[in-house]
Amino acid sequence: MFRDNFNLAYKNIKERLSRSVLTLLGISIGIMAIISLMGIGEGMNVAVEGELSSLSDTIIVSVGEGFSIFSPNLDDTGEYLTERDINDLERIPGVKEVNTQLTGMASLSFNGDENTIMTTITGMEIETMNIQYGLEDLYRGSILENGDQSKILIGYDVAYEYFDNDIQIGSRVKINGKKFFVNGIFSKQGMGGVSTNDDLLLLTSRDFQKTTGESNIFIATVSVYDVTEVESMALEIERTINENHGEDDFASATSMSSILDSVQNIMGILQTVLIAIASIALVVASIGIMNTMLTSVMERTREIGIMKAIGGTNKDVMSIFIIEGLLLSLIGGASGIILGIIGSTGVAAALSNMGPGGGGMPLEPVITFTAIALGLSVSMIVGILSSIYPAWKAAKMSPIEAVRYE
Amino acid sequence: MNEDVIVTKNLSKTYGKGDLQVKALKETDITIKKGDYIAIIGPSGSGKSTLMNLIGCLDRPSSGKLYIDDTDVYKLKENELARIRREKIGFIFQKYNLIPTLTALENVMLSMGFAGVDSKSRIKKAKKLLDMVELSHRIEHKPSELSGGEQQRVAISRALGNNPTIVLGDEPTGNVDSKSGNKIMEILENINNKGETVIIVTHDPNIAKRASRILRIEDGVVREENV
Repeated sequence: MFRDNFNLAYKNIKERLSRSVLTLLGISIGIMAIISLMGIGEGMNVAVEGELSSLSDTIIVSVGEGFSIFSPNLDDTGEYLTERDINDLERIPGVKEVNTQLTGMASLSFNGDENTIMTTITGMEIETMNIQYGLEDLYRGSILENGDQSKILIGYDVAYEYFDNDIQIGSRVKINGKKFFVNGIFSKQGMGGVSTNDDLLLLTSRDFQKTTGESNIFIATVSVYDVTEVESMALEIERTINENHGEDDFASATSMSSILDSVQNIMGILQTVLIAIASIALVVASIGIMNTMLTSVMERTREIGIMKAIGGTNKDVMSIFIIEGLLLSLIGGASGIILGIIGSTGVAAALSNMGPGGGGMPLEPVITFTAIALGLSVSMIVGILSSIYPAWKAAKMSPIEAVRYE
Repeated sequence: MNEDVIVTKNLSKTYGKGDLQVKALKETDITIKKGDYIAIIGPSGSGKSTLMNLIGCLDRPSSGKLYIDDTDVYKLKENELARIRREKIGFIFQKYNLIPTLTALENVMLSMGFAGVDSKSRIKKAKKLLDMVELSHRIEHKPSELSGGEQQRVAISRALGNNPTIVLGDEPTGNVDSKSGNKIMEILENINNKGETVIIVTHDPNIAKRASRILRIEDGVVREENV
């Protein structure tokens, strides 16, 4: 009997094709929105996790309120970590390595002194640099090696946006009047990354001190032996530095895993909100299905009468209409899933290319089995719920009145 | 075995309420035996179709009782009434009333489907019935692709799907030309000859004359007419 009812429902959908297509389009758009949002959200999770989890043994120590995803590029507060701080950190049991990053303002000129701008420069030990950056981060040139002097790595925007003429590998620039050769140019990152290299001017710690006369340790990166201890170590580090400076909140130490947690939390909330908005489309779609089904019931009053006259029960009639609603919504749901997969790939590509110069966080949408199952079950539920009332109305018709209906 | 297939006792039907009440069928007592071939005649609005719909369990009476094979049918619940319509009665309408989206074969199979007959047996039986009404070559056609006479023959096949005890035809030849009408009557008479009870509503005296019993209705009053 199910096959017959299915056949009837299918033929009816086919008979009223354009109306059916418009109806299922509603479901399709709702499901598409949900699937693509889930796909993008999951893709972002994977991307951020990939970027941050490799640094799970790392604690970032900085002056001030600390490193967070809201202010990945810290403001220069004029206060810095001292050599003593770094020495103390190295003495804390469980600390594997402490790497420092020096930051300060300097003048940068290219092609003559009239083209001078003030910018932030960053100094690192070669070892630290090699941990943080590799050849794969470079667009052109090569990274710095031990013994390199008067050589710098610059960000994509520094090379191609700051001055009228593009800076090339081997170009000579002046930082605070001292000559440097450009050894490498970083790839374009755009807006998508957790931090951006696009405006970076990176040189060795020794060159940094020579050029600026300062050794302002802005950020220290501490790696620990035991990943499970990372949170308690962060507290210990914070306390040590605060004691050194006699202030309760001089510095803060943030583990990468806590950053990862907060990123995931925020993305989770964002995704939930977006999916909730997308669900409104589904409510509208379900009203659409109900409307179509009610019209269908009215148009087929006579048919319903015939079915009852030749022995169809209320249950038979009801199931025909529910199957029809279910079929509509399942076709809509399935096409929505396909469109959602295509859509999320498109949005991911667009996000990856966002920002000037076409850089951005490389983003691959991740369509999970859960998302597909959710899409299908939501459309099924919508289909059934919105066809129950029309089906009930059909089933309750008196056969004689229905047969007489013109 | 009791040969009375249909027995009505004080069966009546009133439409409307208050001043607008119309008594379409006055208290009626009739008995129809197995194998009867009955023509119900009368002018328009006399209550022919009302009686037919009551016997066919499509409508409920205002008073009185209807027994089909000794079952007091209007005591039954809606779903049990549907079972009676499915198992005991084959209905043929004036306007054929086929499902427009289904083919001839599927239309015939439909009532058997409601009765829970398995798909293989249904196809076999439906083909046999369509063959009987000489429509073997049209089984895959939809109603819109068939002539009126052909549609009515499909409707007859559909009515016979579940081997009903009673075949009811509400002006079965009313919408077809005389040649097709004749063919339809021959089919119904063949069914009657096989022992089925056939009841038709008609206002064509020539068709009525072919029946073994004639019931004339005037102003809701039924009386037997000599054949």
